[in-house]
Amino acid sequence: MSTLRIRGGHVVDPQNGEDAPRDLFVRDGRIVAPLADVDEDIDATGCVVMAGGIDMHTHIGGGKVNLARLLLPEDHRNTVPRPPSALELASCGGCTPGTLVTGYRYVEMGYTAAFEPAMLAANARHAHMEMGDTPILDHGAYVMLGNDELFLEMLARGEDFQRIRDYAGWTINAAKAMGVKVVNPAGISAFKFNQRKLDVDEAHVHWQVTPRQVLQTLARALRELGVPHPLHIHGSNLGVAGNIESTLQTIQALEGLPAHLTHIQFHAYGKEGPKKFSSAALQLAEAVNANPNVSIDVGQIMFGQTVTASGDTMRQHAQAGLASPRKWVGMDIENEAGCGVVPFRYREQSYVNALQWAIGLEIFLLVKDPWRVVLTTDHPNGGPFTSYPHLIRLLMDRSFRNEQLARLHPDVAANAALRSITRELSLSEIATMTRAAPARLLGLRDRGQLGVGAAADIVLYRDAADREAMFSTPEYVFKDGTLVARAGRITAVPVGGTHFVEPDYDRGIEKRLRKHYAEHGQVNFDHVAIGHDELCRCCNGGRLLPTACFEGQTT
Amino acid sequence: MTDLPRPWTCPFCPLLCDTFGVQAGPGGALALAGSDCPRAAAALARFDTTPAVASPALQGQACDLDTAVAAAARLLAASRQPLFGGLGTDAAGARALYALACATGAICDAAQGAALMQGVRALQDRGGFSTTLAELRGRADLVLCFGGLPSARYPEFFARAGLAADDARLLVLGEGGDLFDAASQLAAQVEGRVVAGAAAPLHAAAERLLAARYAVLVFEPAQLGPHGALIIEMLQRVVATLNRSTRAATLALGGGDGAATVNQVFTWLSGLPLRSRAGVHGLEHEPLCFDAGRLCADGAVDLLLWVASFGTEPAPPSAALPRIVLGHPSLASAGADVFIPVATPGIGSDGHLFRTDGVVLMPLHALRADTLPTAADVLRRLSAARAPTQ
Repeated sequence: MSTLRIRGGHVVDPQNGEDAPRDLFVRDGRIVAPLADVDEDIDATGCVVMAGGIDMHTHIGGGKVNLARLLLPEDHRNTVPRPPSALELASCGGCTPGTLVTGYRYVEMGYTAAFEPAMLAANARHAHMEMGDTPILDHGAYVMLGNDELFLEMLARGEDFQRIRDYAGWTINAAKAMGVKVVNPAGISAFKFNQRKLDVDEAHVHWQVTPRQVLQTLARALRELGVPHPLHIHGSNLGVAGNIESTLQTIQALEGLPAHLTHIQFHAYGKEGPKKFSSAALQLAEAVNANPNVSIDVGQIMFGQTVTASGDTMRQHAQAGLASPRKWVGMDIENEAGCGVVPFRYREQSYVNALQWAIGLEIFLLVKDPWRVVLTTDHPNGGPFTSYPHLIRLLMDRSFRNEQLARLHPDVAANAALRSITRELSLSEIATMTRAAPARLLGLRDRGQLGVGAAADIVLYRDAADREAMFSTPEYVFKDGTLVARAGRITAVPVGGTHFVEPDYDRGIEKRLRKHYAEHGQVNFDHVAIGHDELCRCCNGGRLLPTACFEGQTT
Repeated sequence: MTDLPRPWTCPFCPLLCDTFGVQAGPGGALALAGSDCPRAAAALARFDTTPAVASPALQGQACDLDTAVAAAARLLAASRQPLFGGLGTDAAGARALYALACATGAICDAAQGAALMQGVRALQDRGGFSTTLAELRGRADLVLCFGGLPSARYPEFFARAGLAADDARLLVLGEGGDLFDAASQLAAQVEGRVVAGAAAPLHAAAERLLAARYAVLVFEPAQLGPHGALIIEMLQRVVATLNRSTRAATLALGGGDGAATVNQVFTWLSGLPLRSRAGVHGLEHEPLCFDAGRLCADGAVDLLLWVASFGTEPAPPSAALPRIVLGHPSLASAGADVFIPVATPGIGSDGHLFRTDGVVLMPLHALRADTLPTAADVLRRLSAARAPTQ
């Protein structure tokens, strides 16, 4: 039994409404009520104490991430090796680092969990293995649906909704996923049929179903299955000027059902002005403010080299001409999904890139409820996760933000609405967007907070006016009560746990799926689902962390 | 004949077929059921139903596992530049191999490294657009086999692709001729450029590609010769051109005997593919210089650790340097300084291998219990046995 007191820190714990100095006590990896005696006492005076950070949308594992690594040896060769630590194995990379260095750098910044948002059922074992090889961090993934031919066929044939819901339930169980993501609803499949664009109410050229139908069906299925994380939506027309129309139609298509709209910055573009490209952040924020069923993560862009890795083959093919360096990888995958990996350099002097930067920040600052906004760069698509401390400073420090804005393309610097936004986020709001809100949106009751009974994922940041420095290198990072990083150095490398959900569904659907796999698949049906033992082996022996579903609601 | 557990995944080629089974004959021989794949049958003939009984050996003399591991650890500790070759193992073996490679500064290259690097280098230079087996089977209305039919080396390919041998969707190009010329002329023709002196079949192929709704270009990197990367770039150019107006993709066949799997695992762990080293200056990746054959020939390495757990890999090179071999029991005669027999994933142990398209990580199942350790077990013991001062 090991016990610990963290003494005198300023505890910022929005889930429990705390923002004041107090002592924290830990026993056997959990936060407990005050103890009389402790084995270890840590002086946290002058520190801000938060729960471990949770990144709920970061491309850290699976086929397209590894393709990005393969595509960009130059990105990896150029990273400067750090002094070796006996605990760290060699691993490198800037925008798509190896899994090992991904774990080390996240933890050194005070993050203790990360979620891969785009896992394919066909590639699920691979994704789980990569996450299992990402040290220390707990992890989980959302499985992709809504572009697989079976789903679209069932929808096109007007099969019973319950059958489609059961198929979704089976898929979540088979892939050991934490939720479901839909990417460019029906659009990835449509691209395989040579369709190049798909609006929310436009029909898929082959199946004749619309993205609206796909969204409604999946959102309702997750609701009825009782999956805590609602449908995770990468909307239609990513990156297209004027796509705010599609985004507003997407919100409307939900008809009040809960959903999470991801990397929303890439979906908040108008087509006003001389360049036919403008910020629609205000319209987007108004829609989010008016629809409490909707949460978002931002997908902020950061200037510099990165790589965009997406399941959206249709849009990535369309953008591939902008690749820098000039190369890209695309793939059509198993009648189920696709991927496109396009390297990209965001430039301060580009009007479009500068405006994208401003739009992301405007969204952060215009949406009123921090519980429905999660801080992300859509790593690596908007920029690498290592830029989070810089992003936090932009949000907390208006003068710093305006200094950065002044360096951008002159039209953006002079005209962006961002200039006139005075809001500076508080520590409590940052803690909400980086811990408490993602935990709540994922249904993780004992993470993202510091109440009695919570897991002892605890971070101590030295309070400093320079928020970038403060959030770059916390003094102490504890994972389940174990000290894993001290002042930017890894001190222990436990294997992280795997979060997943196991919704109930009618097993009758398996007969249909067995037939489908025999006719169209390339894997024996009995090989599709991952069992607990195999998941554990894939994830390097880490703990399995099933999250409870809620009572499904029939809609 | 008794049926052995199903489903079984055949680990002996990167198609990783999992719909046929294995039966045990009266003498303990293993026979394929539901397929007449000669490649699988030949590989299965190296095993039988009884667990392999094989002893580790030190300089050809049988010894126990502890002695062999200690001797191998001493050789590794004494080496200034080890080479890990063969790399015939599964994902678990690759994970264990990476930790040992980091600890020893070893250069790692697969037995099929030359073919593997053709694909890797083409991707690094130009990217590409590929597809998977289920897409090929369900969607392709034209399958162009570049350089010849793959069925000689991948006997189940037609069955997996849903193609008859005389299927009207099949087209073979480049057989017998200069492959680079064929690929570059094809690329020019689909771009609508006039190619003086181009062969008529090339012109016809370009027409068919342009008319197809979803064309798949199938090729085998191992059959493309020493400049295969340039040919693959040309084939990718064909696909990129077609994708402006219609749909097309490539499918490469290769990466068996663990090569693609170890490459994937090393890439995710380290950020860099095979032919890399974790040295004093950080990670180095040299797709040309870190060629195992070349390193041995140049005397640039002073120890070889050869992993060949499938029994289908080539024998370790007979270079004049100390050799540690972890492999199928038949490799006992390869004359290694230290030989440790290991279980074969898919026969004596469970495991995971990547299919040829790089997407599906197939589970492998043991057909029977085995007395031998897995390569991952032995590699972890080697990492643990290294002196802490190393």
